[in-house]
Amino acid sequence: MGGSAAISLVDVTKHFDGALTTAVDALSFEVATGEVVALVGPSGCGKTTTLKMINRLVEPTSGTIMVLGADQRSVPAHELRRSIGYVIQQIGLFPHRTVRRNIGVVPELIGWDRDRIDARCDELADLVGLERDLLDRYPAALSGGQQQRAGVARALAADPPILLMDEPYSAVDPIVRARLQDDLLALQATVHKTIVIVTHDIDEAIKLADRVAVMNVGGILEQFASPDELLDAPANEFVASFLGRERGLRRLALRTVADITPIAGPSVSPEASPSAAIEVMDRFGTSWVAIVEAETLHGWLSRKVVEGALEGAGAIGSTVGELPLRPFGSRVSPTTPLREALDVIVNARSRMAAVIERDGERDRYLGMITIDEVAGGLES
Amino acid sequence: MIADERRSLIWWTWVGDHLDEIWQRTVEHVQIALIAIAVGCLLSFVLSVIAVRFRWTFKPITRVGSILYTIPSLALFGLLIPFTGLGLLTAEIALVSYTIFILVSNTVAGLDAVPAPVKEAADAMGYTWWRRLMTVEFPLALPTVIAGLRIASVTVIGLVTVAALIGNGGYGALINDGLQRSFPTPIVIGSLLSVVFALLVDGLLAFALWALTPWRRRT
Repeated sequence: MGGSAAISLVDVTKHFDGALTTAVDALSFEVATGEVVALVGPSGCGKTTTLKMINRLVEPTSGTIMVLGADQRSVPAHELRRSIGYVIQQIGLFPHRTVRRNIGVVPELIGWDRDRIDARCDELADLVGLERDLLDRYPAALSGGQQQRAGVARALAADPPILLMDEPYSAVDPIVRARLQDDLLALQATVHKTIVIVTHDIDEAIKLADRVAVMNVGGILEQFASPDELLDAPANEFVASFLGRERGLRRLALRTVADITPIAGPSVSPEASPSAAIEVMDRFGTSWVAIVEAETLHGWLSRKVVEGALEGAGAIGSTVGELPLRPFGSRVSPTTPLREALDVIVNARSRMAAVIERDGERDRYLGMITIDEVAGGLES
Repeated sequence: MIADERRSLIWWTWVGDHLDEIWQRTVEHVQIALIAIAVGCLLSFVLSVIAVRFRWTFKPITRVGSILYTIPSLALFGLLIPFTGLGLLTAEIALVSYTIFILVSNTVAGLDAVPAPVKEAADAMGYTWWRRLMTVEFPLALPTVIAGLRIASVTVIGLVTVAALIGNGGYGALINDGLQRSFPTPIVIGSLLSVVFALLVDGLLAFALWALTPWRRRT
């Protein structure tokens, strides 16, 4: 990374007056421009202190922090902070200002005129998913989720290249939290900020971050790696136990069906004869067969129905396409996370899921996946 | 006949004959009180800012303020007269000193009650210390500040009557006059008008708080 680092900490130590232990101990890491880094760890691991040292809400005892290529101490703290967005759990909107004037705080500080601030507020409200009607209310009139969105809008108001977030979603209920997380990912896809987010929730870190810094009590960095690396190869016992059980399942959540290659599965074309269908079922050891024609999955037939057709009509010349097909229920799309696909597969009697890609108006059938394919996805 | 009317609570004929004097006393009373309140506010604000900025000064400031507050007003006049003589300055020094304790305690309490996340957010957005104090903390402390100001104002307006004893006029002069002559009318008029003035200022401040803090109203 080197030159492209937006934030770099070099040997940063923080010792609070009167504290028995060191809050942050000789910490060094870099955050690349446009990267999302999550700081996770148990309480007392110094993750919040680390975050607050980046915008100088906490001054390091020793060490250097470079922000956008310059020593953060080269400008006055209040000027540094105007170029770094900040979002906190308790949000901290100013109760005496309307939402609009809250969002416009930093632009106002740096001297934008009223019209420009107003236009920017409207734009930000749309960006973070806040109804414009709410802009002229006071924060007390907003729900927790709406306040959180307003907090994010405020942080982004003057378009700072860096965004710091301190447990931004811990105060909202899980459903709202999941939505806000999804929205942040969508937002990040458009704004491309350098984001450092502190969380105690490892799932949140895995979901949001490009790289995760796992910290231990006393401000020690145990591992700094991508979520996938972390789950695949935890550096030590502490990291492994912090990641918890179901590491494999969590890794599956990071990948999608598009990452694995489907198989053909027991399928025949509608023109196939019943005896050919039975032959396919024998080969795959299944009691059903899918009817597939040029990337279209018509449905499936049970062995019993196919055998019945074979006996009943004697049926020379009859095809499986004429039999009563049943719709194929267990479907996934290429964008389905593998963890979800696995769930579909274990819930299906057939132990398979059909991969269907929505292609405009048409559904394109790409093949079948089983537990084997899903498990194989972790090897790549 | 005349003696009887003189002894009634209000002898309206006297009131009618002395409207000029009553107006004169009103002007004096309002002047003395408003100067004391204004100077008290200014001084208390400065002291509050110092107390908040340099935390260690808070205790000494309020300690001195509370001692001043507990000295009986008459005694305080007595203590000051050798230095500042009889007159307005002595009265104002005494009156202002009574406001300090209430105003500083309430202002500091109001500033302290501003939620920590709000202050942290202000810092993180890049507010300077002074700007944060003036545009974030002080507005949010207004309810407590104005509550203190209401108590201080009502106290001062009542105490101005005592300032008449050292020759400053105001409603106290009417009351004194009545007391010396065992004549109830000026006593009643002086007291009544002092109370009305106090209630008026109290009401105005309550309204000012309402007008200045739109965010506290339910919409």
